[in-house]
Amino acid sequence: MDAIYRPFYSLYRLSTGVRHRAERRLTKGGLGVVLGAVAASMLAPDTENTVAYQAVGLLLALLLVAAVFCGFFRGRFTVRRRLPRFGSVGSPLAYTILVGNLTSRTQASLTLFENLSDPRPPFDEWKDLQLADQRELRSFRISRGRRTNPFKRATVAGAEVPAARPGEEAEVRVELMPVRRGPLRFDGVTLARPDPLGLMRSFITLTAPEATLILPKRYGLGTIALPGIMKHQDGGVALASNVGQSDEFVGLRDYRHGDPVRHIHWRTWARAGRPVVKQFEDEFFVRHALVLDTFTNHPESEVFEEAVSVAASFACTLQTQESLLDLLFVGPQSYRFTAGRGLAHTDQMLEVLASVRPCRKHRFVALEQLVLENIGVVSGCVCVLVAWDQERCDFVKKLRGLGVPVLVLVVVPAGQKPTLDPGPMRDEPERFLVLEAGSIQEGVKGRHN
Amino acid sequence: MKPPLLLLGAALLFWGWQTDILFVAATMAIILEGARWLKSRWEFSEEDFSRIWTFCTLVLLGAAVYAFSSNNGPADIRSLFQNPTLSAQRGAAAAGARTAATLFRWLPMVFFPFIAAQAVNWREGVPLEAISLFLRWRRKQARKMGHPPPPGRTVNVSYPYFALCAFAASSRARDDNTFFWGLCALMGWALWSWRPRRFALGWWGAVLGAAIMLGFLGQRGASQVQRYLEGLNTQWFSGFGQRSARSELSRTALGHIGRLKTSPAIVIRVESPPGDPPPPLLREAAYRLYKNQNWYENAKNQFENIQVSSVPGTWVIVPGKTNISSVNVACYLDHGEGLLPLPETCGRLENLPAFVLRKDKAGAVLATGPGLVVFDARYGPGLLSDVSPTAEDTDVPLPEAPALDAILEQLHLTSPVSDQLARQALSRLFLSQFSYSTWQEPRKRADPEETPLSRFLLRTHRGHCEYFATATVLLMRRLGVPARYSVGYSVHEGAGGKFVVRQRDAHAWCLVWNARAETWQDFDTTPPSWVQAESPDPSLSQAVLDAWSRIAFEVSKLRWGQSHLRNYFLWTLFPVLGLLLYQILFRSRRKKLAGKGTDLVVVWPGLDSEFYEVERKLVRRGITRPQGEPLYEWLARIAAEPGLVELKAPLERLVRLHYRYRFDPLGLDPAGRGALREQAQTCIKRLPY
Repeated sequence: MDAIYRPFYSLYRLSTGVRHRAERRLTKGGLGVVLGAVAASMLAPDTENTVAYQAVGLLLALLLVAAVFCGFFRGRFTVRRRLPRFGSVGSPLAYTILVGNLTSRTQASLTLFENLSDPRPPFDEWKDLQLADQRELRSFRISRGRRTNPFKRATVAGAEVPAARPGEEAEVRVELMPVRRGPLRFDGVTLARPDPLGLMRSFITLTAPEATLILPKRYGLGTIALPGIMKHQDGGVALASNVGQSDEFVGLRDYRHGDPVRHIHWRTWARAGRPVVKQFEDEFFVRHALVLDTFTNHPESEVFEEAVSVAASFACTLQTQESLLDLLFVGPQSYRFTAGRGLAHTDQMLEVLASVRPCRKHRFVALEQLVLENIGVVSGCVCVLVAWDQERCDFVKKLRGLGVPVLVLVVVPAGQKPTLDPGPMRDEPERFLVLEAGSIQEGVKGRHN
Repeated sequence: MKPPLLLLGAALLFWGWQTDILFVAATMAIILEGARWLKSRWEFSEEDFSRIWTFCTLVLLGAAVYAFSSNNGPADIRSLFQNPTLSAQRGAAAAGARTAATLFRWLPMVFFPFIAAQAVNWREGVPLEAISLFLRWRRKQARKMGHPPPPGRTVNVSYPYFALCAFAASSRARDDNTFFWGLCALMGWALWSWRPRRFALGWWGAVLGAAIMLGFLGQRGASQVQRYLEGLNTQWFSGFGQRSARSELSRTALGHIGRLKTSPAIVIRVESPPGDPPPPLLREAAYRLYKNQNWYENAKNQFENIQVSSVPGTWVIVPGKTNISSVNVACYLDHGEGLLPLPETCGRLENLPAFVLRKDKAGAVLATGPGLVVFDARYGPGLLSDVSPTAEDTDVPLPEAPALDAILEQLHLTSPVSDQLARQALSRLFLSQFSYSTWQEPRKRADPEETPLSRFLLRTHRGHCEYFATATVLLMRRLGVPARYSVGYSVHEGAGGKFVVRQRDAHAWCLVWNARAETWQDFDTTPPSWVQAESPDPSLSQAVLDAWSRIAFEVSKLRWGQSHLRNYFLWTLFPVLGLLLYQILFRSRRKKLAGKGTDLVVVWPGLDSEFYEVERKLVRRGITRPQGEPLYEWLARIAAEPGLVELKAPLERLVRLHYRYRFDPLGLDPAGRGALREQAQTCIKRLPY
C-alpha cells in the first residue's frame, strides 16, 4: 500500500511546494504574464493563422529579465512580532510586526510574508487521511468534493511594508485567518522585493520563531435552558462568588473539636473568652459537565471539528449566574477546573479543546466509564456526540437512569438529513439536537429560537 | 484592479488594426472608454450580469459553430474518422487551427457586451457568481438548504479582456512585426501602472527595453526554427493517398500495399438541366510525364490568365466554340485556390465568381477565388483547350517497357497501329483479364526489377483506377498513339438532375489522341465494377453525414456569397441578436409583470368557503374587520355585541372548519365540507338583520 501512495505523496509535496513558491514569487502582474505566455504558447505553433509566437517571445523575455533581477537583493533587517496569545478559527487575527531597516538605503515597495511552519504532514498521517477519505467515497454518487488543503492551518496574505529609512523600524499590520485550531507556529518572515517591471519578487528570509494558540470556532448559542438539579457540592467552590443559593458566612458558633483552625473567629474569641468559629452554609448549586465525544476513525473529520466547536461554544456560553460548567470529559480523559466560579477556567477549557485530537485507540465505553465514575457531583450533562449509535444511546440512557438531566447534541456530516431517532431522548425531544456540520449556527438557532 | 486610462481602448484599436476591422473596434473603444465620462450609471444586478454572460456564451457557441463550418471543419473531421491517413489528420488539424484562429479573432466582439456592462455599471467589477456555474450552484444549494448564501465576490474583468484583445490581434495571416511592436507598446502601458516606486524611471525603461530586445530576437529565432521544421515536414505531409491540388504533379498510390482508404465526403455537387444527363467525368488536370509512380506536368507548361468577358462572371476557355450543353457545378477551393472540375469539352464558364482564372496547355483550369464556387460549365463537341500531341505524349519510361511489351505481345499488337484498334484491344484485355481492387497484397519475393505497374500487368491483374489509367496511357504510347493521364471525378450518384460527387469518386483515366478527328478523347479502361466497389451500402450514418454536409454546404454558400441570402442573413442577424439580448435582459421584468397579472386569477384553495358569506353579512351589520385582525379576535368582538352572544359558539366552530378548509394541506373531507356549509347556513339564519 505504501508503495502505491508514496509517489502520490511526493506529488502532493511537490505540487503544494511549487504552488506555495509560485504564489510568493509572482506578483499579480507576473501571474498574468505567465498565464498569457501559456495561452500564447498553445496558439504559437500555428504560424499559418496566428502570430502568437511573437507574443510568446515577448512575454517569456519579460519573465526572463524579471527572473534575472531576482538574484540581486541583499540587505539586513530585524523583525519583532507582537502576537496575541490566542486566536480563533474563522476570526481574523490581526497583529503587527516591526521591521527594522539596518541597510544604508531607504527600503520601499517591500512585501512581508509570514512563514508559518510547514503544515504538510508526514507520510503516515497523510496516508491515513487519504484512506479515511476513500472510505467515505460513494461510487457513482455526487459528493461534496474533497477539501483542497485539509492540513492548512491559516491563510495569510503578503503585507505591504511601509517605506523605512536607514535605521528606522516600519510597523506592518498583518491579518491572518486561522482555519484550524491548535498551536500555530511561526518560523519567521520573508521580505520580498519586486523587480523593476513588477512581475517577480526576490526574497530575504529572517527567522523569528513564535507560536500562538488557535481556539476552536465558537457559535452563538443564545439562551439555553440547561437541565440540572442542585446538588450538595462537598467543600464548596474556592473563591466565593454568588453562584449557588446562599452566602457562605452565615454566623458564629462555639468551637467543636475538629473544626479547622482557619475558621476560628479571633475577635469574638477575644471578646467572649472562648473559641468561636465562623459558620458556613453548605453549597448547593447546579454543576454541569461537558462531555465531548472524540471517538471517530477519521483523522481529520469535519464532524469532529464541528463537535469541538459546539463544545467550545458551550464552554464559553454557559458561564451564567445560575450554573457552573467546570467539568470536562474529553475522550478518555476528564478535566476539573478548580480555579473557581470566575471566567478563568473558560480559557483553560478552550485550551484543552484547542488541542484535542480524535481518539482512535479507545472505544466510546472509556468515556462512558469516566463520566459514570464522576456522576456523583454532576447536576446536568451536555453531551456533544459525533455519532448516534447503540453505544451512545445506551450511555445517554444510563445517565438518565441515574437521574442526571441530559442535553444531547449530535453532529452529523454535511448534506446528511438531520433526522435521527431520538431513542432514549424521545420523551424530551427539545433536549435532543441534531446539528449538520457546516450549518451548526443555523441548527442551533432553529431549535432554540 | 482597474487598468490605466485608455488602455482598453488602445487594445481594441490595436485588435481592429491587426484584424482589419478597425471601424468596429473604434466604435467599441469609444463606447468602453466613453463610459468613464458618463455621469449616469446603470444598476446591473448579479442576475443581469448572469444573463449578459449567458448571452455572450450563446454568441460564442454560435460563432464557434459558424467558424467550424465555414473553415471546412465538418468535412475534414469526417475524413479523419473515415480515412485516418496522415493527410486526413493534417487536414483535420488545419481545420481545427483555422477554426480556433477565426474564433479568437472574434472574441473581443463576442464578450464586448459583458465588458461594456461592467464599464457602465454603478459599481466596479462583476460578481463572480455571474461567471462561475459552480458558485451559482453553491449559492442555490445554500438557498435550498435554508443556509445564508456564501459571501459574494466581485472581479474586474478589464485585464482579462485586455489579454483577450491582444490574443485576438495575433489571429491574422500577415507575418510582419507590427503585432510585436504593438504588443510591446501595450505591455509597456500596462506595466507602467504596475511598476514599483522603488526603482527610478530610467531603470524601468532600461529593463523593459532589454526585455523587448530579447523578445524580438527570441520570436525571430522561434519563427525561423518553426519555418525550418515546417520545411522538413512538408514532404511528409504532402498528401499521401490524396491527389495534390497543384496541377504540375499528381501523386498516385501506385505501389502502396494494403487497402486504399476512400472517403465518402461530398466534394462536388452537380446539377444538370432536366432530361439532360451530366457528363460522366469531370476532369481537373492531365499529365504527360510518368516517373517513379508519379505523374508530372512539364514545368514549362505555365498557366496563362483567361480574360473575363464583358459579361461579369463569364470566362471563355475555348473561344469560338459552340456549347450546346450546360451543367451547374459547386466545388470548394481550398485556401481560395484550386483546379476546377470541368467536363472534358468545356468551352465557357458562366456565373463563376473567381478573382483570377488561369489555364495550362494540358487543359487544367486553376481558379483563385472564394472558398466555394458555384458556376455553370457550358460544353459541347468540338475543340478542346488541350494542345496537340507533343513528344512527351508518346514517352514511355524504360523500367516499364518490358512489362508493356509483354502485354502487347500477348495481344499481338505492334506499333504502329490505329488508335481505334488499340482501344478495342485494350478495352477487351482489361475487361476480361483484370479486376478492380483497392487492396494490394504485400510482395512475397523482392524483385528489384519489378515495378508496381509491371506487377499489376503481369502478376496480380488487380488494382485501382490509377493502375488502369497509367497502364493504358503507357500501352497506348508504346503503340505509338499519343496519350495522357487524366485525373478528376466520376459523376454517377444522384437523381433528378442533382448529383453528388464524393471524395471516393476521384478517378483517373486516359486521354487518347484521335488523329482523324484531331482531338483528345476520354478512354476509361477501369472496369465499370469500380463504382460498385467504391460505394458501400447506404447506411443511416451516411445519411446523417450527408445531411450535415448539406448544411455545411448551404452555410458555405452563405459565407462565400454564393447565395443572395447571405446579404439578408447578415442584416437579419443584428435584429435577431438584439432581440435575444432584449429577451435575456428584460426577461425578469416580464416575469414580474406576468406574476402581477396572474395574482388576480390564482385560485387559492378554500376561497369558495361559505364563511365569507357570513363575514360579508357581519360587515354589512357594521362589524368590520380591520386588515390584520385575526378572525378569533374579531369573533370575540362580535360576541361582545348585544344580541350576538349566542352566536359565539357556532361562529367559533365555523371558523375552525373554515381554517381547515382554507389552510390544511389535506383539506376537508366531504363530511367536514358539508358541516362547514351547514354551520354557515345556521349562522346566517341566526344572524338578526
